Amino acid sequence: MRPVLYEVCRSVGRLSSSPPPAVPGSGQNRLAALREAVARIERRGDHSKATILPFGLPELARHLPGGGLATGMLHEVMAASYQDRPSAFGFAFALAASALQSRKGPAFFVSTQHASREFGRPYVHGLRHLGIDPARFVLIQTAKNNDALWALEETLRAEVRPAIVVGALDRQLDLTESRRLNLASSAGSVLLVLLCLAGGQGTNAAGTRWRIGAASSSKDRFGALADWRWHTTLERSRNGRSGHWLLEWTHVAHSLRMAEGVADRTPYAGQASRRAG
Amino acid sequence: MGDLLSNARSKVLDLQCRDADPAADRKALEKLALWAMRYSPTVAVWDEISGADGFFIEVEGSAHLFGGEACLLRNLQQRLQTFGLFPRLAVAGTAGASWAMARFGAAESAIVENGAERSAIESLPVDSLRLTQGARSLLRRLGLRRVSQVIDQPRAPFASRFDAEYLRKLDQALGRQCEPLVPIVPAPLYHAQTQFLEPILSADHVLIAARHLLDRLCSQLADDAVGARVLRLMLFQVDGDVKSLELGLAAASRDPEHMARLIGLRLERLAGAFDTEFGFEAAALHALTVEPFAARQSSLGMGEAGASAESLAGLIDRLQQRLGPGAVRQLHPAMSHVPERAEVAGAVALQELPKEKMSAEMEENLPSAPRPLLLLPRPEAAEVMALIPDGPPRRFRWRGVMHQVTAAEGPERITPQWWERSGELERDYYLVEDSEGRRFWLFRHGHYAADTPPGWFVHGLFP
Repeated sequence: MRPVLYEVCRSVGRLSSSPPPAVPGSGQNRLAALREAVARIERRGDHSKATILPFGLPELARHLPGGGLATGMLHEVMAASYQDRPSAFGFAFALAASALQSRKGPAFFVSTQHASREFGRPYVHGLRHLGIDPARFVLIQTAKNNDALWALEETLRAEVRPAIVVGALDRQLDLTESRRLNLASSAGSVLLVLLCLAGGQGTNAAGTRWRIGAASSSKDRFGALADWRWHTTLERSRNGRSGHWLLEWTHVAHSLRMAEGVADRTPYAGQASRRAG
Repeated sequence: MGDLLSNARSKVLDLQCRDADPAADRKALEKLALWAMRYSPTVAVWDEISGADGFFIEVEGSAHLFGGEACLLRNLQQRLQTFGLFPRLAVAGTAGASWAMARFGAAESAIVENGAERSAIESLPVDSLRLTQGARSLLRRLGLRRVSQVIDQPRAPFASRFDAEYLRKLDQALGRQCEPLVPIVPAPLYHAQTQFLEPILSADHVLIAARHLLDRLCSQLADDAVGARVLRLMLFQVDGDVKSLELGLAAASRDPEHMARLIGLRLERLAGAFDTEFGFEAAALHALTVEPFAARQSSLGMGEAGASAESLAGLIDRLQQRLGPGAVRQLHPAMSHVPERAEVAGAVALQELPKEKMSAEMEENLPSAPRPLLLLPRPEAAEVMALIPDGPPRRFRWRGVMHQVTAAEGPERITPQWWERSGELERDYYLVEDSEGRRFWLFRHGHYAADTPPGWFVHGLFP
């Protein structure tokens, strides 16, 4: 971390002493240019071109550098509580469904047997319901966490170029392990989403960290359950901002959207609009 | 030999006797035959008629590795003697002649030149033709005791008196008819083997040796434009034990680098199982299944930007060797209404599946109602309170936590398959949401009856 910080300080110092012509006077633009500079420094040494998986939601895009989930770094998904783990699974698989829609290659799901014993393992018809083609979905189950980490790294570094790799571990990663995963995903420029089922604070190496909680789904006009909703907290976003939204998974379009115009507005929704504003 | 036990006891005072144990004999012989695979991949154990006390080794293609047939015999004899055995060995152009020479020859080890089978066995007794008891006694009654006496007899009278077996055995011994051997392990299509100057002990050295064998095997495979699907590595211990491991590959390959990596991963997984006290003195590598080797199209949505199917197959191989069989799977829908049977977890399909595979009938039968993302390994009992007996749950306790149901969808009735046992009950599935927004897939098992309330189970979880 130290060299990067040093570089940031140096380039910030350079910018302040002699602002380049690309930075006009307005504060907003200046901030944007500084962010760009930091992002550029962080990308240095990374030969592959990072690509972005867009959410298609402007409210979220403002909080994420590049406007979406960047490949080549670790994205953590955590459950707000033990009971919310299926929702965290759901959010991670929703990301996988979007990745499969917009990218080539298969999706890999690496999990330990323990992680899938407690709340079950992915079910083929459930995957289909979520918009994931089972033929492009490869399930890898390991006995131990260390084997799962090995499998994740192997998959990320392979020539295969998966559309997305989703990992589910029942142990907190230490800094070394998460940085290794970070490096592996940037080597292949692969989108990596890690479900940390053990809870805890997450690691510093993560590019983004999402905390997911269950929320009452929307009802159609007959009062039947329509679209699933999750309280989605962006706890950490490197070079971005944190935020909180109530997101909804549309079964028709197989995509995420903001839950809006709902009768049973939860207090979370108000908070999200305040923060986003 | 052939004496009664009491006679034998009177001849030898300190005679030890044991009951015969043919099963154990057979087992020991098979173990020895496996060990003998260090000389050649084709080793066939003798059947009952042949005495069941030895085996054939097909050395046609491998004698030169030991410096010729004479050196091979010497090598084999020395090693068998160190095991405490007194072998009788013979090399001949036919299995029959070698059996006759080993059993009835004058010397402990004999080599019969090609074409000299006839002169070699002429002087031997007719028993050396591996005949059944009946044929042997008939020949003895006819006064025919030596092979030379029967070898040029007119065939027609013999054919009418004996069964076909007799003439066939004679022809096979003389090389007029070929004799198929049944090898103890199916003979590989391609193989490579090597002997070490010094026994090797560590897994690293095994890997280096395997790498050399792979180089040789892969050049053979390349000559025939095939790739291997199943490989077997056999390691021969100094003390006569054989360790062998089989590797299945996701797709045919002839890349020695890749296969060596798989062997390395497998040894890593087996860590400990390959420990040896005495070391390995020889190794053999067999390609058991081969396939035409050509670039293939993958079904996993790889475009021109993605890598080829080969790299995917390589990845899956590496994962499987390290994590064990069944660790890497794909889920496929199956034809069943019962949720837990409506999916099969199978091997990863690397090749483009024909579209007919997913038949229209199956497409039609896919469930249209929502299905949970996570299915529990087995349905878990829940305590449910419902307003009316046949209605959706209002409250339920699962894993010790009470859930207040705010919305429920259902029921979706799933009846057991009619060919199932009659004990199987109907299930009414409900998708319920609790006050916290968590979604569950519950079912009521069976109908409501006054005396026994039906059981409720949580079967899956929606995100």
